[in-house]
Amino acid sequence: MGRQQADGRAARCSRAAWTGALAGALASVVLVASAAADYALIGHDAPDFALHATAGNNVRLSEHRGDVVVLSFWGSRCGQCRMQLAALNRSFKTYHSAGLQVFGVNVDDDQGGALEFARTEALGFPLLLDPGKAVARAYLVDNLPMTVLIDRGGSVRQVHRDFSSKFEPAYLQQLRVLLNE
Amino acid sequence: MLHVAHLGGFLVLKTAAVRFAAFAIGACILVPHPSAWAQSAALPAVSSAPAASAAPGAAAPQAPPASPLTQAPRAGAAAAGGASAEPGTGTRGLDQDIQGLKKDVVDLNRDLFVLEEELLFPANTQVAVFVSMDVGEFFLLDTVTLKIDQKEVANYLYTPREVEALGKGGVHRLYLGNLKAGPHELVAFFSGQGPHERDYRRGATLRFEKGIGAKYLELKINDRQRRQQPEFEIKDWE
Repeated sequence: MGRQQADGRAARCSRAAWTGALAGALASVVLVASAAADYALIGHDAPDFALHATAGNNVRLSEHRGDVVVLSFWGSRCGQCRMQLAALNRSFKTYHSAGLQVFGVNVDDDQGGALEFARTEALGFPLLLDPGKAVARAYLVDNLPMTVLIDRGGSVRQVHRDFSSKFEPAYLQQLRVLLNE
Repeated sequence: MLHVAHLGGFLVLKTAAVRFAAFAIGACILVPHPSAWAQSAALPAVSSAPAASAAPGAAAPQAPPASPLTQAPRAGAAAAGGASAEPGTGTRGLDQDIQGLKKDVVDLNRDLFVLEEELLFPANTQVAVFVSMDVGEFFLLDTVTLKIDQKEVANYLYTPREVEALGKGGVHRLYLGNLKAGPHELVAFFSGQGPHERDYRRGATLRFEKGIGAKYLELKINDRQRRQQPEFEIKDWE
């Protein structure tokens, strides 16, 4: 009898855990989808740009047509930006061979912070400098961090404002969809 | 209803008639791309000639075995009788129509591009500035900034691929705009890495007279071997 009650409790707990996880996943998908809904560039060609990198060569977006490109707009004084860049670095290492390109676009007026960050953090992808904010304006950046996902055809497909580690699975799922196209 | 799909350089064309024939013989008909037709038609002749020359005294070489691509239509023809030749010619004609339409679109696009250029940049006011580079051993180009009459009109960042293309003889159109007739001044700033990988920035100036016709100017980056330095000049194409 006691054993049956224990089994029932375990089943209820497991059901509750599944329900919670499902609700969380749905909520994150809804949040991610709502973030993309009001972005004017969705479905349009990504504005082309060429920027200096903190280290290495200049980068022109149009040269990466055929790859899935993630643009992450960030500032050196934004803590969430750093978290997001670290998460993107993990994704980049995993999916780079499948055609993923990640570019961190720094929008600081003073490039010192970005250069220092690039020196201390060993990121695998290029960090670009946009002190004039021309690229940030072209991509309608209104929040930091902000991430734009561009498909292999060069169209803007997704945008994420803000970052939280709980959204990471949803981001990865979107990335995988784009990489599989 | 027509389904067209690329399959390794071949087009798979399935019309209703072809489907019927395929159903009859239980095979799918593959029709090669027109560019491949000529090639496939030439293949037996090319392959049989060396065989004949290699063994002049031998018996006449057997015809090369037909590939599955050529076998399938023959099988279809055999199965469906004389009427099955029509689907092949039909699909061929359809493919030619598609190719013709594609060519028309390309031609139309070209005409529109020319028309746009003529409207936006009429020949009597047009000014075009090009960048070219010879060798580039002493200078690794990074940016070119262009000023015409003290006004910045272009600022272009070059990627390694673009620099490589310039080194191979490519010419980049940096600026296309309009200027009224009369005297003008063009200043170009080149920045990049100079000898010994040092940051390098140089300028070049040209005063030119804009006449009635279009004006073409070329920013040339050359290596001066004697001085082991890059050289920048602006050439006025008359």
